[in-house]
Amino acid sequence: MTASVGFLSSIILIAVGMAMLSPIILLYLWVKDRKSKKLW
Amino acid sequence: MNDVNSAILDPDIGWTILAVFSVIWIWLGWFWGRKAKHLDDFMLAGRNVGMALGIATAMATWVTSNTTMVAPQLAFQLGIWGMLGYSLGSVGLMLFAPMARRIRQLLPHGFTSGDFIRLRYGPWTWRLFLVISLVYAIGWLISLGMAGGVLIHALTGIEYQYGMSVILTICVVYTMLGGLRAVIGTDFIQTILILVGAVTLAILTINFVGFETMHENLLEQRPELLNLLMPAAIMFLFNNLLFGVGEIFHSNVWWSRAFAFRKDVGFRAYLIAGIFWVPIPVVAGFIALAAPSLGLNVPAADMVGPMVAAKLLGVGGAILVFIIVFSALASSLDSLLAATSDLVLQDIYRGHINPQAKDEQLRRMAKMIILLLGVVTWLICLPRISTLASLLHFMGAFVASTIWPIIAGLYWKRANAYGAFIAMAAGTAVGLWSYFAIGFYVAALVSAAVSMSVVLISAALSNNHFAWEQLNQPREGGT
Repeated sequence: MTASVGFLSSIILIAVGMAMLSPIILLYLWVKDRKSKKLW
Repeated sequence: MNDVNSAILDPDIGWTILAVFSVIWIWLGWFWGRKAKHLDDFMLAGRNVGMALGIATAMATWVTSNTTMVAPQLAFQLGIWGMLGYSLGSVGLMLFAPMARRIRQLLPHGFTSGDFIRLRYGPWTWRLFLVISLVYAIGWLISLGMAGGVLIHALTGIEYQYGMSVILTICVVYTMLGGLRAVIGTDFIQTILILVGAVTLAILTINFVGFETMHENLLEQRPELLNLLMPAAIMFLFNNLLFGVGEIFHSNVWWSRAFAFRKDVGFRAYLIAGIFWVPIPVVAGFIALAAPSLGLNVPAADMVGPMVAAKLLGVGGAILVFIIVFSALASSLDSLLAATSDLVLQDIYRGHINPQAKDEQLRRMAKMIILLLGVVTWLICLPRISTLASLLHFMGAFVASTIWPIIAGLYWKRANAYGAFIAMAAGTAVGLWSYFAIGFYVAALVSAAVSMSVVLISAALSNNHFAWEQLNQPREGGT
């Protein structure tokens, strides 16, 4: 069973999308923790 | 190799980047380390780490140079299942989330994973566990040190020995200066750098090669990489899942963070870090599938990632890759140095040599041990012994044998010392046999299966009723 171009591109695009979101969320949480003095 | 040589960075640029980042990390190590007044501050960042830093440090530590380097290698060797199998490494982080919460509840005064095994299973199982943990930790340190040398050489032309020595020295210095606080603080910055860099590299690869061309060339030249029923790749997928779970469940790198995070942070931090980690091996690995489209002649599979990046992106891209790799290396090396030194300090020095050592003496020893670990790693890394993936998978047999003794020990009162000891010994032995007799992709699988059988049978036959309060013991002598 061979992976189609659609399958291959879907996996990669979903992964790239998720990887784009994570630094934004991390920076948001950093600001939130800092404001509430819960950074460490 | 001409493709690499024509696109790699000038060694002077490489040295400049190394110098700039060295100054930044070492200064940050000093800056955060100056607040560490007690052993808890140095070893566990004051046991007060919040959500943002918690997620980032779990992610950054699990994104190693092996992720950025072996993920392309596995995609190149095992195709789609190679990179998806690597992504299953994130399951370990997610499954550790409830354990992190329970560890913090059961062992409020704990320092290391060894503390748990000692209190739960007694001295002999503890010693066997220490052997497995230390073999694994040294193996991982060597694999990271070697990856540092290989990658810095591939990207900048700086000699393997020099690159490896520099990265190791930087990490040793700032970890010595700042302890876990420096490790966690730098991990946050390194996570952002890795994610932004990897996404940029992926987008450029998609734009430059395109999915249609990539798929077409793979079908012509390497159709097995698109085979969704490749048996070795499917075995690898499950093997890697268990390997990742074993690595995380037993390693003090993750236990020390469970002790360091705020009470309400551990569960969510590990769960979110696991979810954020899922795409990283795919983002870092799929660029290897572009190799046939680029007409690259890959001399060694562990070179495919840097070669594709260098071919595609030229000097600007090579600088980007270099920063990603440098961050990935440093974020894992520092964590491993800190956590392994904790294990040596608490379980060997304090546990076996000097039980009455005082706080100040222990802090001094912690720094000495970090330095010693750095020197040992450097000596072993000097000759380039094995390819990175084979070295990494060799450890699978060791770590997978610890999964069940740890899970059962945390949740099941009937789990007992004999069962845990035999499970670790037999799992490791049979796992190693299968590594040599069958292949790297089954070592962790076999080891975990043997270990699970022993733990379940021994617990079922046992009348043991462990009292959880026994785990809530402050260590005497230290403070």
